[in-house]
Amino acid sequence: MQSVILRARLESALGERIPSPFTDLDRRVFESVPTGIAPLDALMGGLPRGAITEIFGPRSSGRTSAMVSILTEAAASGEVCALVDGNDAFDPKSASEAGLELQRLLWVRCRKLDQVLKSTDLLLHGGGFGRVVMDLTDFPLSNVRSIPLASWFRFQRTIEKTPTVLLVMSSESVVKSAAALVLRMEMRCAEWSTILNGMNSNIEVLRSRRGKIGRGKIQVRLVNSLFCTSKKGNSLV
Amino acid sequence: MFACIYIPNASGDTAAALLNCASAFSPRVEKTSAGTVVFDVEGLERLLGSYPEIAAKVAEQARAAGLHANVAVAANAEAAICAARGFGGISILNRGTEAARLRDLPLTVLSPPPEILETLERWGIRTLGAFATLPAVQVSERLGQEGVKLHKLAHGTGVRPLVPHADAMRFVEVMELDYDITTIEPLTFIFSRMLDGICARMRSRNLATHEVRLALGGYARVLNLPLPVRNPRLLTKLLILDLEAHPPGAPIRRVELEAIPAKPRTVQNGLFVPLSPEPEKLELTLARLKAVVGEENVGAPEVLDTHRPDALKVQTFGIVGKERLHVVAGFSPRSLSLRLLRPSLEATVQIQNHIPTWIAFHGVHGPISTASGPWHTSGDWWRPNMWDREEWDIEVADALYRIYYDVHLDRWYAQGVYD
Repeated sequence: MQSVILRARLESALGERIPSPFTDLDRRVFESVPTGIAPLDALMGGLPRGAITEIFGPRSSGRTSAMVSILTEAAASGEVCALVDGNDAFDPKSASEAGLELQRLLWVRCRKLDQVLKSTDLLLHGGGFGRVVMDLTDFPLSNVRSIPLASWFRFQRTIEKTPTVLLVMSSESVVKSAAALVLRMEMRCAEWSTILNGMNSNIEVLRSRRGKIGRGKIQVRLVNSLFCTSKKGNSLV
Repeated sequence: MFACIYIPNASGDTAAALLNCASAFSPRVEKTSAGTVVFDVEGLERLLGSYPEIAAKVAEQARAAGLHANVAVAANAEAAICAARGFGGISILNRGTEAARLRDLPLTVLSPPPEILETLERWGIRTLGAFATLPAVQVSERLGQEGVKLHKLAHGTGVRPLVPHADAMRFVEVMELDYDITTIEPLTFIFSRMLDGICARMRSRNLATHEVRLALGGYARVLNLPLPVRNPRLLTKLLILDLEAHPPGAPIRRVELEAIPAKPRTVQNGLFVPLSPEPEKLELTLARLKAVVGEENVGAPEVLDTHRPDALKVQTFGIVGKERLHVVAGFSPRSLSLRLLRPSLEATVQIQNHIPTWIAFHGVHGPISTASGPWHTSGDWWRPNMWDREEWDIEVADALYRIYYDVHLDRWYAQGVYD
């Protein structure tokens, strides 16, 4: 009985400032954006806006190709993207040949981890970017693990009411519970003929808070279009 | 009605004072010559009284500015000019009486070309009245169009629109400091105050700036903006960030700021416009990013039109339109991408039958399970920075790499990893 009285008093005290202080907020409708990888979009419904997506995996697992595909989709729809390149490893030529409109991409070339964190923070606070990619793949794992969990939650809080997708790429999962979507990638096999034709990768959904399903696994084939167009005369061993 | 202020033998300073004097009465002021200004006084009756009163106030204004000027008011600008040049003190020419009032004035008040003046003097014509009595057709035959124009002026009927004088607007603020400043931080307050004034003046004229010039004694910086802005806080932050990146080498005693005016940006926003940063905020974000990673490391990548490996430049990033940009034809949405190792890492490679079979570089070593190549690429042989290499794709320890053999250096390098 006392709790009812207390509740009534609080409601009258808060008055017009907060009309219904004890009513749950309506659940937000979360928008998703396509990745450009059709099987993944069919499985997940795309990447959630206003949340962190993490893609991790070892070398040659297809992480960078997935990132370029995501950026290509965003740029094709007219959105502006930013790439915080942790170790200055981005290859604009292969991204361009994958269809990425480079003029819609802000490329921030970093060399140190603190530069990556500061730059990402500035970009997220600046706002207006459809996708912000934070590439941590080439940093030693000990350095990446040293990023405090609070930083990830701060990033998540910064973008949660914006349409920005923060994509974190690393060699192992570092964002932990701050990520709304976690994808693990690994190479199944490379396709060789006389040249490197491409490779097959597995994409495993480890966590999806807003997607259609919680977990799942798909296979994608990545084509080596660079070599198909530019190389002639070759041999395979 | 038009008023004219005339000072014989006016100097440059006097001309400026004349303009100021006329500008106090009308925004439409024509600087006819160094000592002559004409301005529109139509509609001033309600404010200042009759035209003789207006003329008296103009003369008083000129006197207050230290000018001993003739003032004339007439129905057209040319008649006012002639009257001011011909009569001393104040003269009012009512509408329709111009010809009668001007008839005794010498021809020199028309400022005719010397050859026409000489011809008229040979004819015995010395006053406007005498000139006005000549038949217009014969004047035209003998003196041409210039003569016809002067003939109309002699009648006091010249009609032409005013050509208002437009001062080149400068938005400058200068501050002499009492003591030297050796750090950047105190400049924030100084810039903020100066830019507040400049931006307020620009706002009153509906202008913005796309270029701010800063002079700190002998040290100068120019802040170029991709779009016109007039937000003093934004400009202050941009200037401070620019100075932090390029600090002056000496203590600061004098600060001068000039904003180059431009038309402000007008944008029609739409409900379905794709997401993009606000231009003003983007400029600030870019400036801050440049302070973190360096100016050359922030921008939009551009692939150069050459076969040289990793040939690119970073250009200034700006918001591009909604339209689809140029995309390489035949692209695949799921293409295998390359991650580059910048600079390429030197590798130790073992070869059997001209094929690499084992490799070691920077934490990666082991037998090469598959290798594809070589592809020979070279170029710019006539330049010192030529390249000549044989590229291979290899698979080592479940990872795909691109390596190359530098023909000239006789060394192997790891160029990147497929990912």
